Formats: sequence, C-alpha cells, structure tokens
Amino acid sequence: MDIMEEFKQKFVEEAEEFITDLEASLLILEKNPHEKEQIEKVFRIMHTLKGNGGMFGYNKISEFTHNLESIYDFVRNGEMEINKELLDVTLLSVDHLKVLLQTGDDLDANTQKTHNLFSSKIEKIINEKLMGGKDYSIKNANNDSFLPFGSSAEKNLDEATYYIKFVPNPDIFKDGTNPLFLLDEIHTLGTCSVVAHLENIPVAGSFDCAKCYTWWEVFLATPLKIGTINDVFIFVEDDSKIEITEIASFSLFTNDDFRKYIIELQKAEKQFDIDIIKKFAGNTETFIETKETTVEKGDLFLPQPSKIKVKADSSISSIRVSSSKVDLLMNLVSEMVTLQARLNLFNEKHHDPELQAITESVQKLSRQLRDNAFSISLIPIGSILTRFQRLVRDLSGELGKKVNFIIEGEETELDKTIVESLSDPLMHILRNSLDHGIETPENRIKSGKPEEGNIFLKACYSGSNVHIKVRDDGAGIDPEKILKKARQKGIVSEQAVLDKNQILDLVFAPGFSTAEVVSDISGRGVGMDVVSRKITEIRGEVVLDSDKGKGTTITIILPLTLSIIDGMQVNIGETTYIIPLYAVHKIYSVSHQIIQKAFDNVIALEGEQLPFFSLREHFQVPGNSPEREEVIVVKYENRKVGLLIDRVIGEYQTVLKPLGKHYKSQEFISGGTILGDGTIALVLDTNKIISKFSKRTLTMEESK
Amino acid sequence: MSDSQKQVLNSYLTFKLGGEMFASHVENVIKILEMQHITEVPRTPPFMKGVINLRGNVLPVIDARIKFGIPQTEYTQKTCILVLNIRIEEEQVDVGAIVDAVHDVLEYDQDKILPPPGLGSKFKSGFIDGVMKVNDKFIMILNMNSVFSTEEIIDLQEQTEKTVEKLKKEKINKKAN
Repeated sequence: MDIMEEFKQKFVEEAEEFITDLEASLLILEKNPHEKEQIEKVFRIMHTLKGNGGMFGYNKISEFTHNLESIYDFVRNGEMEINKELLDVTLLSVDHLKVLLQTGDDLDANTQKTHNLFSSKIEKIINEKLMGGKDYSIKNANNDSFLPFGSSAEKNLDEATYYIKFVPNPDIFKDGTNPLFLLDEIHTLGTCSVVAHLENIPVAGSFDCAKCYTWWEVFLATPLKIGTINDVFIFVEDDSKIEITEIASFSLFTNDDFRKYIIELQKAEKQFDIDIIKKFAGNTETFIETKETTVEKGDLFLPQPSKIKVKADSSISSIRVSSSKVDLLMNLVSEMVTLQARLNLFNEKHHDPELQAITESVQKLSRQLRDNAFSISLIPIGSILTRFQRLVRDLSGELGKKVNFIIEGEETELDKTIVESLSDPLMHILRNSLDHGIETPENRIKSGKPEEGNIFLKACYSGSNVHIKVRDDGAGIDPEKILKKARQKGIVSEQAVLDKNQILDLVFAPGFSTAEVVSDISGRGVGMDVVSRKITEIRGEVVLDSDKGKGTTITIILPLTLSIIDGMQVNIGETTYIIPLYAVHKIYSVSHQIIQKAFDNVIALEGEQLPFFSLREHFQVPGNSPEREEVIVVKYENRKVGLLIDRVIGEYQTVLKPLGKHYKSQEFISGGTILGDGTIALVLDTNKIISKFSKRTLTMEESK
Repeated sequence: MSDSQKQVLNSYLTFKLGGEMFASHVENVIKILEMQHITEVPRTPPFMKGVINLRGNVLPVIDARIKFGIPQTEYTQKTCILVLNIRIEEEQVDVGAIVDAVHDVLEYDQDKILPPPGLGSKFKSGFIDGVMKVNDKFIMILNMNSVFSTEEIIDLQEQTEKTVEKLKKEKINKKAN
C-alpha cells in the first residue's frame, strides 16, 4: 500500500476525532464562555489541524483553520470575548472542515462557494477585531501584580523576560525535527540569548550520530505572551522537556550585568543561578514564593507557572490502536477461553494435584485476561453523543422550539460494535422527540409547562446490561389514536382488546409507520420499526412508555458485549444448552408429578404464582422427563417466568459463535459455544424463547 | 479461487448417495470429516441435522439424504461429512453435508461434460451443472451453491432418473440417425 495514502488515512481518522472534540468543546463554551481549559483546547486542536493538514497536503484545511485559530488566539489571550455570533460561525466552519476532510483540495463549485463564504466571515471578524471596531477586550486583572517594585524608566515595561529550558528528546531527529529551527523561531520573537549545553555529548567512540545530546537554555525578552512561546514547541512538547518561566516582567537585556552574566554562562557552560538572576530582576517579592516551590521540587529548581505544562501528562495516558488489532486480541482470548474449558475437563479426569494447581492458575489468569481484553474493546458511549448535542441544537433552532438537552452517564462503556450501531437508532429517537414530542413554546405555555422543553439522555449500567433512556417532557403519545390507526391499517383486528403497553408496542410494528401516520397522529411513528430492528440485531431491546400530555420515555436495553458471556450449562434430554447467567434469577428442583398436575402451566413456588414453559416440550425432545426436573426462574420484562429443564450441570464461560445463515430463523438461540470436549452447546436467548412461545397462545399473533 | 483457476482445475469429488453416484467440483470441498456427534438444534426442518465444531467455529450440517428425498438409513462407518464452501446471497458460507460414502477424485475434461438436459417445468434447473460419463455410468455434477442454499427438499432421485433416461434416449436417437 502506498505509504503516503496510509498516512493520509491516519490523518483523516485523527482529524475526525479532533473535530468531534472540537465540537464538544465549542458546545461547552456556548454554555460557559469563560472556561479557560476549553478555549485552550479549541485553540490547540485548531493549531494541530492546521499543522497536520498542511503536512498531508490538505492546504485548504490548513488555510481555513489558520484564520479560525487567529480568532481563538485573541480569545485565549483575553482580547476577545466569545459570543453567540462567533460560536455559530465556528460551528458552521467545523461542519465545513468535515467536508474539506472528505474532499481534500479539489472542491466542487458548491463547496468552493461555502468555503469562500466562511473564509470571508472569519476574516471579517478578525478585521473588526484588528480595526478595533468592536471592543472585545477584557482587562487581565493579574497583569498589575506582576509589576516589579523597583521599576525604573530604563526598563522596558512592555516586555517581559522569560527563561526557557529546552531538553530535546534524544530521538528528536527521527521525527525530522531540527531543534535549531525551533531556536531560530524563538529568535524571531524578541531579544534573545542562547546558552547551549554540550556536556552530555559522549566521547567519540560511543557517539550515536542519530541522537541529540545537546540541550539549551534561552533567555528571551519579548512583549508576547507566554503561550506564544509555548506554541513554538507545540510539536515537540510531548517528548521533550520544556520549561518556560517568566523571570522578570521587563526586559533584563537592558541590564549590563545580566548581559555579562550570560556571556559568562556561555563560556563556562554552567547552568544559570536563580539567585543571581533575582538580583538583576530587582524583584524580591515574586521570587520568594517561587523559592518555596524550589525546595519541594528538588532538582527542578525553576519556578513553574502552573498553566503551561498542563498538556504533557494528558497526551500519554492513552494510545491509539487500530480496531482490527483489538478484534484479533478478542479472538485470541476467545480461543484461549475455549482451550481453558478443555484443560478443565482434562483435569477432572486425571486426579493429579499438580495439574489441578496449574489448571486453577491458568483459569484465574485467563479470566483476568478475558476481562481485561474486554475492557479494551469497550468505548464510552459519549463518543457518539456529541453529534447528538449538535443535532438537538440545530434542529430545535430550525423547528423554533426551545429545548434543553441533558446528557448523563456519557462515560458508560459499551462494546464498540454496539456503540457504532447505536448511532442511527438514537438519532431517530431524538429526532422524533424533537419533531413530535416537544411542543412549540406557545403550546407548552398553554398546557402549563415551562416554555423550555427538556430531553434527557441517560446511560447507565444495570447488571450486565446497559440501559439508555431517552426521556422528554413533551406531548406524549395518545394510545387511542395509535389503536385507531393500527385498526385502520389492519395490524390488529377490530375485536382485539389490548392493554396500554400492547398498544404502545404497536408503534414498533412493521408497516405502522408511514408518512401519513406522522401527519395524522401527533405522536411518533417515524421508522420506529427500523429502530427496533436495529437494536434487536445487536441483541438489545426497546421499551416505550408514554403518558399523554406528560412525555415519552424510550429505553434501550443492551448487552455489555456481544462475544463472551457467563452462562449456566443445563441438559435437556441428550443435548446441552447454555442459559446466560445474567438472566437466571433462581433455580428450584421440582418433582415431575407436580409439573404434570399443574394447571395452565402455572405452579406455586414459595407462595408465588409462576408461569412456566417446558423446554423439553417446546423443543420437541423425544423421551420422558426425569423424576425430578429443575425450574430456572428468569426475568422476563417485569415478570418472573420458569423454564423447565432436565438437569443443571454448572457454570460455564461462553464464547458466543454465530450459528450461520442456515439457522437464521432460530432466533431464540443466540449462538453456539464449544464445550471442553469439543462438542457444541447452544446458547439460549431466554427473552426470545418466552416471547416466542407465549405469543403462540395469543390470538393477536395468530391473526397476523 | 478465481474463475481462471477454476477452469484449469478439472477435478471432481465423487460420492455416493442412495445407490447413485454424484460429483462436486473440488473447488467447493474443503475437507471430509468422519461422522461424529452432532448437536441438534431444536425446531428445525428434519434435513438440518444440527451443528458441529469445525476448528473452533460452528458448522451447520445437512443430511443430504433427507434433503434429496432419499429414504433414511442408519449411518455406517463409511458415512461422512463433506465440508463445503458455498455461496449464499453474495456470501461465502461453510456447510457440512452428510453423504453415504466418498468415492474418488476424478479428472474430467471440461469439454466432455454433457450439459444438463432440460427436464420440463416441473424441476427447477440449476441444481445440476452437468453430467459426466465414467465407465458407462452417468454421474451428476451437482451445483453445490444452489443445492445447499435452498430451504426446500429437492427430489433428487426423480430428477436423476429422468436425466439418465433422457440422456439414454438422446443417445439411442443419435445412433438411429
């Protein structure tokens, strides 16, 4: 594969992530325009986009972000304030960036038009700022406190003197960076003096010419802010050690003694001494504070301004790994778990204490490995929620509705394949909520609600499931209207008597939702069957609840992961089945006689009425039931249901394998798993079993 | 395997099923397994025998006798499972087929293969790719892709008899001419 193409691909991937982050930060800024951290982040992302874009031949992106960056540089320095107008332009520009990322530099006429439009808008903002047309500036109150006490006329008060210590990573040349160019760039910022330290250079024999042994100390007097100096090092700051400190709030180069001292340093290759500098600065007070930190920090003798070094730690805490590698890891772990089961079986046959000890250790280890590999393949759901925030913001504006969108639990983690397939259904649900759920401000006031509507999106864990709730306080769904429509469409017969939940379920029925329905019924219906189908594909479930006039709640219940589950091994006849452990509530042993006597498939256990299904009967297994059968109590929706099986064998870690196309109609089986002896056991989907077999008795289903 | 390679390879695996001989292009055959324990899947048509473990994956197994409408017999030592790779709806899928016995791998010239005779509208065409003639016996080359992707039972016995009959008739006609 073309290496350049590969890099470009990486850049696009990375840039997409950056843009998502950018959007998120901008939306935070919209609520809280003074959050410094977010402003810094916005600026940094733009700067990186600009740099990387240029590097990979995306010149349009580079140009475009350059101007945006300038604006946020003003904001960052407190010379400009964030307002709605600015954010609107920026967000639209972000959209445009997404387009540019796909098209590259070859723009069609339309894109070129938008490109020019935004470019001019951004330039206008910059020009206004530069012309002073609008006064965005806010005073930085801290400035005054930095004024030295003994300041005299000869000191240049606009400038400040910085000390920069730059220890490049020895491998810096490998990235193609020449540290001298960085120093050149520093030179352009103001008056500057550089001390090079060569003492780390080894003797000729052990010298590696591909490594950088030199480090530098720089004294710089400049009117620019510390952030600007930091920007020079933006591409090397992750690997190299960079310290930038303000040592005086005026130019020290006006002081002859200071100049002499530096020349002395350059000759002697000594490190600079803070005490001496202090004298030149003539500012005792600032340094008393900093000296205290000196003691605490040991070898880092320099006072550290808190804001500058923030970034270094945040970048190393995570690494990028391609998802194919993670998939491979998961496959290997799955194979290992299967092998583990074989080892267990072997161990049971041979009563060797040493073998047993090994088996147990391996089991412990493989379990840990499994859990760990698992957590790697999980990603927080928040990664797809940003774009929803955007969707709600834009759509509510279009519809003229006021909506407050609140997200909770964005750190909830799910298997990445699940998160990916969640995006479309959630989008559908949110659109519905905005379109048909939330009323217009006037209507809301009429029905005694606050003008602003609320949509809550909440994700949380519940056992080994994840629940995602989308709740709105809008108009809700009128069951009567749904039923009427369903009857018209022939989805239910005229005579059928349905309770509220059954009626609401009709929304998910295929064929229920058409454009016509949407205009007639003030409720939902746009593609809810699509939502339901998509969620079912990833072994999830959708539950809808609504109160007319009060609002609607849609809950999506999802499994944490798709591939490995803890299960319970059971036997029915000769065949082994696995029932997912999370579904199992309790197990009872019941004599066959009681089952035979049971009326209408209901038995009483611990004083509770329990409906049950005999899997032997439903699976059409030949032969007779054993003397004592076992009832596995599973939760189904809000009820408890018993499943009758022959015998419980034990707990089993299951690697779920698909049964393939030939068995796609056997939906009550979620897959197969390989047992220790190499044979296959089928993994049952208890929810599907119950809904399938219980529905057979319902007339509603029959009439379909 | 690409089409050009397929044309170069003229090898066919022959197997027995209910007294008749059939053949499959080797391209479709991955391996041959001994008969083994098959995990039954409940509530499936009778020809779907169940699933077995094939190198850590689940392989569905079809009983070819039931699928082709041939009366069932006990499995013998010669009974085996052909692991086939077939195409269903644009997707390559592995499937196992239980046959009475595997016989031979034959090389047979593409040009010598007789085209499947038209059998009237009663039969769906496409199940038989062609007919080979080996030692004065006709061997049907089955199109594994279409045979094992349908959910219906194919009456192969009748189809075979008719094919053979028709071919014989054609031959007699030729001689007469």
